[in-house]
Amino acid sequence: MDADSDVALDILITNVVCVFRTRCHLNLRKIALEGANVIYKRDVGKVLMKLRKPRITATIWSSGKVICTGATSEEEAKFGARRLARSLQKLGFQVIFTDFKVVNVLAVCNMPFEIRLPEFTTNNRPHASYEPELHPAVCYRIKSLRATLQIFSTGSITVTGPNVKAVASAVEQIYPFVFESRK
Amino acid sequence: MAARGRCPECGSGSLVEDAHYAQQQLVCAACGCVLSEGLLTTTYTDEEHLREVAYSQSTGQKEQLSRCLQRGIRRVQDLCKVLQLPAVFEDTAVSYFQRALQLPAFHLVSLEKKELLGGCCVFVACRQHRWPLTMGTVCSLLYARQELFASVFLSLQRELGLSVPALSLADLVTTHLNSFRLVQPTASVPAPFLEDKEQLLARTMAIVELASETWLVTGRHPVPVVTAAAFLAWQSLRPGPRLCCPLARFCRLAGVDLPPPAHLRLRELLEILLGMASQLSWLRGFRLDKRTVVKHIGDLLQHRLLLLKRAFSQQDGQGQQDTAPGQGSGSQGSLDKGSGSQGSLDKDSGSQGSLDKESGCPWAGKQQRGGSLRPLLPPCLIHPRKRPRPAAPSAPAVALTGDEPISDSEIEQYLRSPEEIRAFRKAKAWP
Repeated sequence: MDADSDVALDILITNVVCVFRTRCHLNLRKIALEGANVIYKRDVGKVLMKLRKPRITATIWSSGKVICTGATSEEEAKFGARRLARSLQKLGFQVIFTDFKVVNVLAVCNMPFEIRLPEFTTNNRPHASYEPELHPAVCYRIKSLRATLQIFSTGSITVTGPNVKAVASAVEQIYPFVFESRK
Repeated sequence: MAARGRCPECGSGSLVEDAHYAQQQLVCAACGCVLSEGLLTTTYTDEEHLREVAYSQSTGQKEQLSRCLQRGIRRVQDLCKVLQLPAVFEDTAVSYFQRALQLPAFHLVSLEKKELLGGCCVFVACRQHRWPLTMGTVCSLLYARQELFASVFLSLQRELGLSVPALSLADLVTTHLNSFRLVQPTASVPAPFLEDKEQLLARTMAIVELASETWLVTGRHPVPVVTAAAFLAWQSLRPGPRLCCPLARFCRLAGVDLPPPAHLRLRELLEILLGMASQLSWLRGFRLDKRTVVKHIGDLLQHRLLLLKRAFSQQDGQGQQDTAPGQGSGSQGSLDKGSGSQGSLDKDSGSQGSLDKESGCPWAGKQQRGGSLRPLLPPCLIHPRKRPRPAAPSAPAVALTGDEPISDSEIEQYLRSPEEIRAFRKAKAWP
């Protein structure tokens, strides 16, 4: 097995975080009263609303900014965000669905081999940071993609990036380095 | 400068303008009579026209910074003295501290963080000079929380662009064992428990190397591994009187703290040693357990490479995952080479025959000599924690685009009906 042979790696997207604006002031008390599946955090000044069908949790601020987490793909995130905006519209607010943006994508990938972390860190000095006293994984940052990878000795890699494409490119980029330091 | 007029006292014409402290006065040079004097203070209107200097531009702030810097440098120097570090370390740490304090990321933070910054600079200097200092030691000296120390350390590394080499385990073992009190006779340590430092160090080092080859060190905190290895080494050097001494008592006698994960590391090490012992021919007749295997640690360490190869499958979980045939033949080749080089070892002539038999079949070797080969994997893969994982999402029947139409009925489920709202209002007295 060498690094050039085609290896199909399953990248499982576990979380997609997106934001959008409603361009209108939202009355949180009204949402808390008339919305179902809602938690009102009065001390912080936000409302948590959970949708069932795309399993999404939305954090709603009175300024009209909404953050949705829990989706498993970018499309599902948009799907859920629009449903949320529609629910707010039904509650009586003049909602306009604008500035939708996927902010963060978290994915997990399993390599079919174990990785020697000290060797990997020595070979990838400036980008890789390994402190076993703090965290069992190596933290590898790819500045160009704005992605961070956490590489565990078991071969499991957790990737966070600004979108799904960046995450996939990050895994592609890291594979040869990780392959070099495999067990 | 002589002013015009005459002194009313003596009539002299020599009048001088002089300043008595900050007060301007017109004085007669002959008799010293004060003719007139200026204002000592400015009026409100005068001050309004004075130029005001913002605090950030005044020297006051710089004085504050230099006071903080001096305090911090003193702290860094004290820390170096307590740790008995060479002067070079102190200079490096002080220079890092000075550089860091200029940056806004460390300039405008809480005092607690500034103290930790000093500790971080010392820690980085030690790591760069290969001095084995652990974060735990620095945190205990500074009475700091480890999470805060970690965040300051990581931001220091990032802001200054420092390259911090990894902690050398060999040096850590040496330093850690230096603090053990079992090498000198004292009142609290019974004679059978005393041990020679060099022998203890050599054996502990060998056990730690074994641990790092068997995935017990990667990703784990180093100190518990070293403690567990030192305990096993100490027991194995004179098993007779020492086998009955538990790990906690050993740490108390040695005068070191017992880190909580040390028990787990000890258990894992014993598991590895038991696996290796099952491959040693002259031990096969005995029923070894965690206590009795300690007596044979010397032999096991001597033939560690061969025993590891035989005792543990080098592949990923045979029978659990598919391995490429190329891998199997590759490792077979290495095994044959290994057995060839061990030909000089006469201990196991019988096993060579069985090895040749096995080279015909793939390197599963699971059933050799009544023991099943455990794969050499990190312990968390061998004993996975049962976590209820959500079912992997199946590919949706229709690919989502995110722009599908939304039906009213779908949204109704997220809204309360008017009756529910009324009931809720009544129950909670919603204002």
